[in-house]
Amino acid sequence: MDYVGSRFPEFGPPGPPGRELTSAKIVVAGGFGVGKSTFIRSIVENDLLSMSALPPERAGGVTELVRIQFGRVWLDPGLALHLFVAPQWQDPRAGWKDVVRGAVGAVVLFDVMRPADSVDAMRYFEDHNIPYVLALNNVHASVRSDVKAIIRGMGISPDVPVLNCDPRVRLSVRETLISLTEHAKLDRWRRRAGPDETTPLAPVC
Amino acid sequence: MSSSPDAPRRRRRAQTPAEQTFADLMNGFSLDSSRKRTHEPESATPGQDEVPVVRQEEVPAFEPVLPEASDASIVRAYAWTGGRTRSNVSLEIETLVSANDQTRQSAGILQAEHQRVVELCHSPRSVAEVAALMRLPLGVVKVLLGDMAERGLVDVHQTASAGGDTPDLGLMERVLSGLRRL
Repeated sequence: MDYVGSRFPEFGPPGPPGRELTSAKIVVAGGFGVGKSTFIRSIVENDLLSMSALPPERAGGVTELVRIQFGRVWLDPGLALHLFVAPQWQDPRAGWKDVVRGAVGAVVLFDVMRPADSVDAMRYFEDHNIPYVLALNNVHASVRSDVKAIIRGMGISPDVPVLNCDPRVRLSVRETLISLTEHAKLDRWRRRAGPDETTPLAPVC
Repeated sequence: MSSSPDAPRRRRRAQTPAEQTFADLMNGFSLDSSRKRTHEPESATPGQDEVPVVRQEEVPAFEPVLPEASDASIVRAYAWTGGRTRSNVSLEIETLVSANDQTRQSAGILQAEHQRVVELCHSPRSVAEVAALMRLPLGVVKVLLGDMAERGLVDVHQTASAGGDTPDLGLMERVLSGLRRL
């Protein structure tokens, strides 16, 4: 019999047996000692690895290698999520390209006592249209309205989620990553929204 | 009081005749044996001669490129790539690579650095992981893996984000559900 018009779903080319592998990455940025490595360490299985890279655009011919720390976690059998610590270069615009290109988004860890440390990272992500969330290390209380007001006063767009995060607590880190990914998804929809696009459904938890 | 400084002197006196006995002097006339005997105490005392012997055995193929690579070792690493810093295959730092079965069988005839990569990529690893575990700069690893991908030695699993600058929505959805499951 010939089923005219019946459309069976295509399962892709008959490739080698085994699952399709892919990967995604999230960047963790912030000032010195704010807990970037701790943040990653509390969600990945193994200890952090670190690789060296030459900053692509070197100022003054300095040839020192920059160390980039990262961790990896398998989210499902075929998907590896990488979490990169945004390296501390003097000028963040100089060498973040490799780390940031193609990232789902970024988490900017924000020390409420030293807000100026994280401003560079925030400005970078704003300029490059990379979705990010602000994670305050304000672990003892909910986000105070005056802190929020100060952050908004710094010129951060109101869409950027501001939340509390204790980098030492796995659950807290997980929540932060989930809200980042949700924000990134919405951000993505907003950018590509044409006249015929529909708005996404609210995330079902 | 005066006896204590004398003690080492006495000991020295006791040792020196032991080193140069008449028998030793006589042995000095036969060439080989004397040379051995005179050199033995020297090599035994500082203990330095043992170190290079051990070091020669232990050095694996990739040891010269240390994590805190000095300028010289960076140059050595880039010499493998023929001075190239870019490869034809587009590789992001999170792109996964894995060695296929065919390569694993022919691992014995590969270049040393390729062989190491094949061993590492037994289970799929990202470019960043290969760079970290091989202690090589990222640029070198990209060129190395690019060459290997062109020769079909490793499979490159392109990320969904490789086309544009942002990952596609399907991938984001997958990340989200994966994170919720963690």
